[in-house]
Amino acid sequence: MRTTYILSILILLFCSYSFGQTPVPNNGMKKSEASIYVLRNAKIIVSPDKIIKKGSLVIENGKIISVGKMVRFPDGAIIIDMEGKTIVPSFIESYSSIGLPKAESPQNTPNPQIETSKEGAYYWNESIHPETDAASQFKVDSKASETLQKMGFSVAVTHIDDGIARGSGAIVALGDIPHKDAILKSKGGAYFSFEKGVSKQTYPSSQMGVIALLRQALYDAEYYKNNEENLSRNLSLSALNEQLSGPMIFNVNDKLEVLRAKKIADEFELDFIILGAGNEFEQINDFKDWKQPMILPINFSDPYDVGDPYISQQIPLSDLKEWELSPSNPFILKKNNVKFAISSKGHTKPEDFWKHFHNVLERGLSREDALASLTTIPAEIFKIEDQLGTLDEGKIASFSVFDKDPFEVKNAVLEESWSLGKQHFVTDKPEVDIRGKYRISIPGTSYVIDIKGTAEKPTGTAISYKTIVDSSTMRSKVDTLKSKVGVKVDYRDAVFHFEVRDNKYDGVVTLHGNFSPKIDAFIGQGQMPDGTWVKWAGIQLSRLKVDQKEIEKNKVVVDTNSVGKVWFPNMAYGFDTLPKKKTYVLRNATLWTNEEEGVIEKGTIILKDGKIDFIGSGTFSIPANAIEIECKGMYITSGIIDEHSHIAISKGVNESGQAVSAEASIADVVRNDDINIYRQLSGGVTVSQLLHGSANPIGGQSAIIKLKWGYSPEQMLVKDMPKFIKFALGENVKQSNWGDNQTVRFPQTRMGVEQVFYDAFIRAEEYKKKWKEYNELSPKKAERKNITAPAIDLELETVWEVKNGERFVSCHSYVQSEINMLMKVADSMGFTINTFTHILEGYKLADKMAAHGAGGSTFSDWWAYKYEVKDAIPFNANLMQEQGVVVAINSDDAEMGRRLNQEAAKSIKYGGMSEQDAWKMVTLNPAKLLHLDDRMGSLKKGKDADVVIWTDNPLSINAQVSKTFVDGDLLYDSWKSVDHFYRIQTEKARIISKMLISNQNGEAKKPFEKKKEKHWHCDTIGDSKD
Amino acid sequence: MKVLRIILTITIFLCMGLSGSAQKTILLSKGRVHVGNGKVINQGLVGIKGDKIILVDNALTHNLDKSAWDTIIDLKGLDVYPGFFAPNSKLGLTEIDAVRATRDFNEVGAYNPHVRSLTAFNVESDIIGTVKTNGVFYSQATPEGGVISGSSSVMSLNGWNWEDAVLKKDDGIHLNWPSTVSGGWSTPKKSSEDYSSQLKEIRAFFEAALSYSSSKDLYDPRFEAMRALFNGEKRLYIHADQMRALLDIIDFQRDLKIKYPVIIGGYDSHKVADQLNSSNIPVIIKGGHTLPENEDDPVDFPYRLPFLLKEAGVLFCIQNSGRMETMNSRNIPFLAGTAMAYGLTEEEAITAISLSTAKILGVDKIVGSIEEGKIATLFVNKGTPLDMRTNNLIFGIINGEFVDLSNVQTKLYDKYKKKYEDQK
Repeated sequence: MRTTYILSILILLFCSYSFGQTPVPNNGMKKSEASIYVLRNAKIIVSPDKIIKKGSLVIENGKIISVGKMVRFPDGAIIIDMEGKTIVPSFIESYSSIGLPKAESPQNTPNPQIETSKEGAYYWNESIHPETDAASQFKVDSKASETLQKMGFSVAVTHIDDGIARGSGAIVALGDIPHKDAILKSKGGAYFSFEKGVSKQTYPSSQMGVIALLRQALYDAEYYKNNEENLSRNLSLSALNEQLSGPMIFNVNDKLEVLRAKKIADEFELDFIILGAGNEFEQINDFKDWKQPMILPINFSDPYDVGDPYISQQIPLSDLKEWELSPSNPFILKKNNVKFAISSKGHTKPEDFWKHFHNVLERGLSREDALASLTTIPAEIFKIEDQLGTLDEGKIASFSVFDKDPFEVKNAVLEESWSLGKQHFVTDKPEVDIRGKYRISIPGTSYVIDIKGTAEKPTGTAISYKTIVDSSTMRSKVDTLKSKVGVKVDYRDAVFHFEVRDNKYDGVVTLHGNFSPKIDAFIGQGQMPDGTWVKWAGIQLSRLKVDQKEIEKNKVVVDTNSVGKVWFPNMAYGFDTLPKKKTYVLRNATLWTNEEEGVIEKGTIILKDGKIDFIGSGTFSIPANAIEIECKGMYITSGIIDEHSHIAISKGVNESGQAVSAEASIADVVRNDDINIYRQLSGGVTVSQLLHGSANPIGGQSAIIKLKWGYSPEQMLVKDMPKFIKFALGENVKQSNWGDNQTVRFPQTRMGVEQVFYDAFIRAEEYKKKWKEYNELSPKKAERKNITAPAIDLELETVWEVKNGERFVSCHSYVQSEINMLMKVADSMGFTINTFTHILEGYKLADKMAAHGAGGSTFSDWWAYKYEVKDAIPFNANLMQEQGVVVAINSDDAEMGRRLNQEAAKSIKYGGMSEQDAWKMVTLNPAKLLHLDDRMGSLKKGKDADVVIWTDNPLSINAQVSKTFVDGDLLYDSWKSVDHFYRIQTEKARIISKMLISNQNGEAKKPFEKKKEKHWHCDTIGDSKD
Repeated sequence: MKVLRIILTITIFLCMGLSGSAQKTILLSKGRVHVGNGKVINQGLVGIKGDKIILVDNALTHNLDKSAWDTIIDLKGLDVYPGFFAPNSKLGLTEIDAVRATRDFNEVGAYNPHVRSLTAFNVESDIIGTVKTNGVFYSQATPEGGVISGSSSVMSLNGWNWEDAVLKKDDGIHLNWPSTVSGGWSTPKKSSEDYSSQLKEIRAFFEAALSYSSSKDLYDPRFEAMRALFNGEKRLYIHADQMRALLDIIDFQRDLKIKYPVIIGGYDSHKVADQLNSSNIPVIIKGGHTLPENEDDPVDFPYRLPFLLKEAGVLFCIQNSGRMETMNSRNIPFLAGTAMAYGLTEEEAITAISLSTAKILGVDKIVGSIEEGKIATLFVNKGTPLDMRTNNLIFGIINGEFVDLSNVQTKLYDKYKKKYEDQK
């Protein structure tokens, strides 16, 4: 019953833009307005595939009545001659906040705000507010409209751009039109993003937290829908449910975020229309089978100011390449069959929008596709294609009039914007163009003036002659005066003043005249230098000549070859194309196998199909097409595995908003364009566990990646990745070093930390009990029909996996008391702590760890950076190992990560470990801790071909990496890296010289701002703004 | 067996050193002596009397009078190295980075030339013990922060108090050169419009200090501290990395008549090597265990910079400022080791953390190498101390005294090793 009611309201709302208005009383009599227009003789671009070279458009009461070469002109129509003009259907802006208030940030409090401060029946998190309704807050803003109208948009979808679930957008007509006519559709689409917005609530503090929160909200909405009758009203969830059936626009800021939004859409079988970032071309391989339409911004960045070579040398190649190729983004996507609308997002000046629009055309996007992306495609996206998008009969009369075809020439001027059948002049165009050469005839004399400049701001010169007769010789000479003419055009009148010197007058003449465009002549009166009033006439001798060069310069010329190629990743040390699978035979090396064979001298290893195909010193046959590499004097090992890393992560390594954030996952935010991936390869690292930070007792889920430089984030994830989660103890989780205001979040002491764990596991148990009861109900029986499934709780799902042994714990830990505590918690809950990471006091209770079955992944020699590590000793690894703990050496640091071989070697110094055992601490042991030792961690036939060639004993200070293979692909080669470096210099010089030309032409430019690389550590809080 | 014998001897001498019988003579015999200046004596003799080295010679050619020595230690098969340096260091000025109460290296204010690290130096720092264990025997205790952070002092890492630990009091003033391109990872600032205005301000301060230095009647604590920059008693350490900054510094030191300018950092110094050489400006570079500054830079650039400077003939030494620098100063030998892996010879790498450092800090007349007349600060190791696997000091001597190579960490190690041995 209720549903039908809501549905009928919805139907009403969706239909509310029809033109039959409900009666509105007038003050006095009804306003007299023209209602029928005929625009004739125009070039009419009806739709992307239909152009009328010379035709007429008939409009009545805001709608198009007819369009064509030969149409009937209705009686009483105002007929406007549009000779030479081009009419283009109104563009539709998908992403705007026009006419809406800015979201306001709640007041700052010194202490963190953990819970929502918003009163009412809303969602628990302030950044989820789908109930926000643009239509109810919309006000016509004719000034802001004009900016969009000058870009060709008479229709926009507007929403308040704040938060993750942002609310509904309204489809509005732009221009100075009455409020009652402005809203075409009140719930035109729902808006989403990965940005928390103005909310001051601590959660979420990272992008992975945002992703988890949005997923949870979508699960909550589903549960709410199924149980609405039994639950109290929640305005947010009910609004969210309504939105799921309409267009959902997802705004992102990076190509990788497009993929992240897509992943959420797939999970919930939703069709997000993703408003991209403009750099999708860098990830083009992931867009091959893209079905949903997208929306693309074209707010390309200005070139840098590269005038100073000291500064320009510091601009990273990634920035340069992105600048150069961004305008090709729409074309590249089109080539890959991605359907998209174009948005003016990010433009505040119409001239910038047009400049970028023409950039897009010149990079190859056809005029048909460009027009469709601004008209029919957005109309389709917002389901208004029966009303807007083309100039076909019956559609709303919203369009733009240009003096020339804007798809053909770059200096076309948008003169009029028609919105709902009403004409708006948006360009202050002079009524007449007076430029040319004139003879000014004044009784008794005449002058020649030459008017140039622009039609809006003409300038000119005047020439007057004085004949001087020498009284002695009687010879005459002519004295010429050339003076500037001040010109002011006002409607059809013009005022001139200029200095003259002739035989009659000497001084300034001021003339006012009326211009007749039919005969190109002036008639008027003026005042001469001596004060006398005269009648004057100006006859045009010649018109201003059209500058052919100027015309050529303004033509849209397609050139797809003038730009560089996309690299993978599109930055320094990127590949032209991804390496093809090859077979490698590495001969005559010293092989450190980590297996029973130990060290094999003069051995051979064959890498084939991503696996180790042969290893040993015996006989082997060389496979066809294999590449042989002579490795005499070299050492070969399996790749280094870093158990604790924070490289290659986007926007936050910690979801620190809550004490338990098991729902967040690093796997959602893996970043493939971090130069540290390449740098780790140069240090022989092939696998890294990207851990959540240590800001809370139960952190987020890990990603275990192969360092597959050039590949997409999804391709980097280890196949069938063992599930891991980060736990943490001590100073970070109790926020000891976060400043004096961070004293609110539970826990603040080691006492509280223990209780957080118990609480989480007990809640998880109760949660699973509900699900178990539900799952045990027979699906056939009636009992299940009346009972809906319990709510899904992503946090407790994950905590349960831990308790149930399906997900392994890697716990940040330092002090023996807390380590002991956590083992007791785990024992009592029936699971094992897989790894204590850092574990700097592990040596104090290594016996207990061994008994519990925990491994230790530690630093070689870090200590003294905070109070809880004052008892850390570099002998830790040795002591733990001796007690039977599986020990790894990890980095937690992008720098140290690339010389983990040196860090492992320190255990030889501190405690006398053997070389082979030391080496295992960065290879086989972390593989064991990560449950990957069946596939990685040693040189063994059948294992992954993650292989490193070293120039020396890998534990020696002299060891350098010669080559690193991941899954049999050669991804780092020290020699090639040198070539790359020179290639980078050439590429940089090429693009900088392009920027220099732009700088010299006086085009817009921006100063270089050096962004420090983001190096996350365990205790890095918050996110950086890109 | 032999090592055991040596260790016993050391214990004896340790007691002697502490009991103050300073004028006894010791001869280190037949070790492979790495002088510190690039030379090696394969079988060398190093004679010590009191705190001085009185003999350095080749054992094969030296006519040895055994009776002249109170003790002779046979070092055959072992290596002798000069004590290493940790320049630009917070050793002794901080204990635990995250605990504010232990941080004594950054004073309030932008211009603090009068602020001195000397009196804040804690000789009993637990961290110092762990650093000595690896062969680092001297530090330059250096304040940080502001435009002028203050004055550093060169300290030996053995001593009862700062007064007897100091090797060179107030050796120089530290100036933090403004960045030519500013930015950060959270909110990148505009390209440094501030640079020139900051530069003007720094110049004005130095010009005022220069004028002040010609007067004897005025008194201003800041300018008073600056006085010694102009007569050469103090060095000016200028912390800067970028090319433009380095070039501007070269002009600056010339205009301001700075006698001994030194650059600390110098990431781009190889690009301006000629200019540095012609102005005689040495560089204290960040050791290689850092990431390249720019993503386009060669991945091994920080490893290779020492070699590039050596090739260009620039006088340089290695420091290790950066994340966790205090406790990490025990890894300075491995920074030199990495430089060795990437182009330097072992002796050149050793020079970069011994004699070159001493030269740059202005203490090479008394320390920095194993040469006659210098202070006896050296250690004995088997193999190279620049490799983690072989850095295991057998004994060390600072200022003629044997060093206690145990530290808070070795004590904890022994304690817990015993715990587990007792469990067996």
